Amino acid sequence: MSYFGEFKDLIQEGDLALVWISRDNIKPITVDSKEFFNTRYGSFPHRDMIGKPYGSQIAIRTKGSNKFAFIHVLQPTPELWTLSLPHRTQIVYTPDSSYIMERLNCGPNSNVIEAGTGSGSFSHAFARNVKHLYSFEFHEARYNQAKEEFEKHGLINIENNVTITHRDVCESGFTIKKGDVTSNQFKDDEEYVNLEANAIFLDLPAPWEALPHLDTVISKDESVGLCCFSPCIEQVDKTIEAMEKNGWINIQMVEIQSKQYESRRQMIRTLDDALERLRDIKSHKLEGVARRKREFENMINEEKKLDTNANKIDKKDISTQTEKPTSKKAQNNRPIIAKTKFNPFGKGSRVREGDTNFQWKQVSKVETEIKSHTSYLTFAFKTITNTRDEELFQKELEFTTSKPSSHKK
Amino acid sequence: MDSSKVISFNQHVVLELPSGNLKIAELRPNNSISLGKFGAFYINDIIGYPLGSRFEINYEVKEGEEGFAEDSKEKKKPKHMQKKIPIGKAKLMIETPAINETSDDNEDRSDSIGTIADELEYENSLNNKNLNIKGNPSEIQELSMAEIEEMKKQYANTNSQDIINKIIQSHKEFNLKTKYSQLKYLNRKKSKFSKEFIVHKMTGRLLLNYLIDKGDIQRIMDMSEESIGMILNYGNVKSNGKYLVIDETGGLLVYFMMERMFGHVTENDMENKKFEGEIIVIHENEHVNLDLLKFSNYSEKFIKKHIKSISILDFFEPPTEEEINNGFTKLTREELSKLSNGERNVYQRRIKGYYKQCQIVELTKNDRKYDGLIVASTLQLTQLIPRLGPKIHGSRSIICYSQFKEILLELSHELYSDLNYLAPTLMETRCRPYQSVRGKLHPLMTMRGGGGYLMWSLKVEPAPPIPSIEIEPKEDISETKNEETEAETKKQKI
Repeated sequence: MSYFGEFKDLIQEGDLALVWISRDNIKPITVDSKEFFNTRYGSFPHRDMIGKPYGSQIAIRTKGSNKFAFIHVLQPTPELWTLSLPHRTQIVYTPDSSYIMERLNCGPNSNVIEAGTGSGSFSHAFARNVKHLYSFEFHEARYNQAKEEFEKHGLINIENNVTITHRDVCESGFTIKKGDVTSNQFKDDEEYVNLEANAIFLDLPAPWEALPHLDTVISKDESVGLCCFSPCIEQVDKTIEAMEKNGWINIQMVEIQSKQYESRRQMIRTLDDALERLRDIKSHKLEGVARRKREFENMINEEKKLDTNANKIDKKDISTQTEKPTSKKAQNNRPIIAKTKFNPFGKGSRVREGDTNFQWKQVSKVETEIKSHTSYLTFAFKTITNTRDEELFQKELEFTTSKPSSHKK
Repeated sequence: MDSSKVISFNQHVVLELPSGNLKIAELRPNNSISLGKFGAFYINDIIGYPLGSRFEINYEVKEGEEGFAEDSKEKKKPKHMQKKIPIGKAKLMIETPAINETSDDNEDRSDSIGTIADELEYENSLNNKNLNIKGNPSEIQELSMAEIEEMKKQYANTNSQDIINKIIQSHKEFNLKTKYSQLKYLNRKKSKFSKEFIVHKMTGRLLLNYLIDKGDIQRIMDMSEESIGMILNYGNVKSNGKYLVIDETGGLLVYFMMERMFGHVTENDMENKKFEGEIIVIHENEHVNLDLLKFSNYSEKFIKKHIKSISILDFFEPPTEEEINNGFTKLTREELSKLSNGERNVYQRRIKGYYKQCQIVELTKNDRKYDGLIVASTLQLTQLIPRLGPKIHGSRSIICYSQFKEILLELSHELYSDLNYLAPTLMETRCRPYQSVRGKLHPLMTMRGGGGYLMWSLKVEPAPPIPSIEIEPKEDISETKNEETEAETKKQKI
């Protein structure tokens, strides 16, 4: 099974793994005992990973210091893969893709058409759950890139449930024939692929141009679901028009809005503590004032003494000289005011959020940048054949009524 | 017939009534189904058509051939007050695209709506300014309630369109309405008098909507479809996984998981296909509550094979192999044949209990690790998750649902401080539906609130403690957000 398909226990040579450095920094690697995973904090030898269970944290001592650096080695999932993609590419993110998969009832009975492939992020999620995914990409370089990636990830050759085709579906439709640029391996007697699609996802600038081509490739005898993914409301309008013209019903457009929250803490700072702190400051101030007043009075007194002494300076020359130092001594011996002020909020020092010396309230905060608009999702459904086979019906009726009602309690 | 595509006997389906309400029905051969005021129909008439088809109940039945359906709601009333609902013939309706195909692209967009009203050939107004909004409805509508009721009773000759046409003809101010409000009016009347219904395939989505319709939101913890979608994807739910689940929604979550893992399973599939996945449901009561699975189309045998349940007590304090083996000795076939009927029953019960105990031992074995933890529980999560965590394999997902953000906030703080969990993330997702009419696109004026919150994290294995060297705190590889540096710092402290 592929690196995405099978649940693996241990990290092994040759595995495709994801290295988690941080939330915004996840890197794919192919495990090779001779290789190193380099970061600016040092390099992690792959041989340290091999044999450890997936999810293991790997530690190394950083270059030139006694600090440590850590990474986690993870098994790829479509969601982690999506997180690892550079943000500049157009990606269908998990809140949208998960809703689309749910709404189109994707599961082991689904044959899905996806156009275009784009970054291949949604393709991985489809591939995990559906019977077969037919992905179409009109950009040749991107097609080659995606095909290579799917092969490397084992989606095409191992799981064998993904086919990618280089095609402008708006112009040429969805039929995959022998001779087309496609990952499909045709058998000798096979001329074209029978898609029998029952779920369709169109992420195209002009889905209305591709819509008319769908009838030939969708499953005829069941209700088929369609989702068009467009960022502009004008596109939605044109899409709905095309859906109606082509006999799609139950049209509904929705928008997915999702948010992540940061888990934070805010210090609990009560009014009483704040009052107490100010009282404390105030009393210190008063003490200070009283002290200064005392000192000032002392000073005055001493000056007076000095003055009077000055008159007697001739006589008491020695005594003044001895008195001065004593008054300085008195100043130095002033009562020591406790320096440990009441400081319930750690003012003046840097307090780390969550510092256990303080009380905290757990709070949440919306992430700094939210995806306020991804795209509009326009859903519609269609059943091509809606007759019943009367002969088959009679047979079924006889069959069910003849056997004892075995079904359920 | 492929029961995943075609309406089949003994299948559970969801019926969508003209009012938009949903009803779950089991399609027993030769029976009928009553839709209350919308009429009743024979099940055999709808079998064999594709799931998702729309039918209309037709009352042009020959005299003496009409039957009457029993309605579950009517049954509760005393006999003489029970209304008998005549059974009509369900006829497939071909759905026509909502707009006239010949409509010109260059036309004003709002006309695409108008075309329908136009087809009905009613005059209309450019705006609603002449409408007599204060007027007594009975003055505007010439038909009295009694007359309409009488018309409804004449099922045989009156189809819903006739009734609606009559009502419109007797509406004094219909032509003062704009095309758009005419259409709205028509839709409103249609939802009252129409006898059309749609037969949908049973899906998690419709089961959820059915429960919401019924007002059972609290029972399903206020879950929304989009939140469940996220649970399935972030939980990495796929056909070969073995998942540990706590589901306080009565089986809704488990049902969604089953659809994702197994799809539609026919009896044939059960014999020919290989299904590996398992859902192990942990429950806090003596017996597991997966009541909603009764609406599913999975056979009891299939459910038993892939859904295993275990109480929290058995999970955390399982019996030892010795204990169960000491308490029970298997009888040989010979010994068994000597037992009386009563004794045999007792033995059967005991052997069932024995197997259940064996299963508990199997499910709780020390080396048995699961491929994901999916929790929708009102138990204190800060205690629950760290206790279940050791049973989850490294690099696998943990996803918790709660109606309340604060519960998950507390949990995420708890997991931050634990090195066995990577990057706990608090999330919310909401689906905003739009009025999806060309030229009139806008978000619906009201939508369901709620839908809950999610916490996603990965189970990881911390690096073993490193021999003590004076380690300066902080600043290693992460150049990231607060939370991570915080977590990293903690890692340094081991």
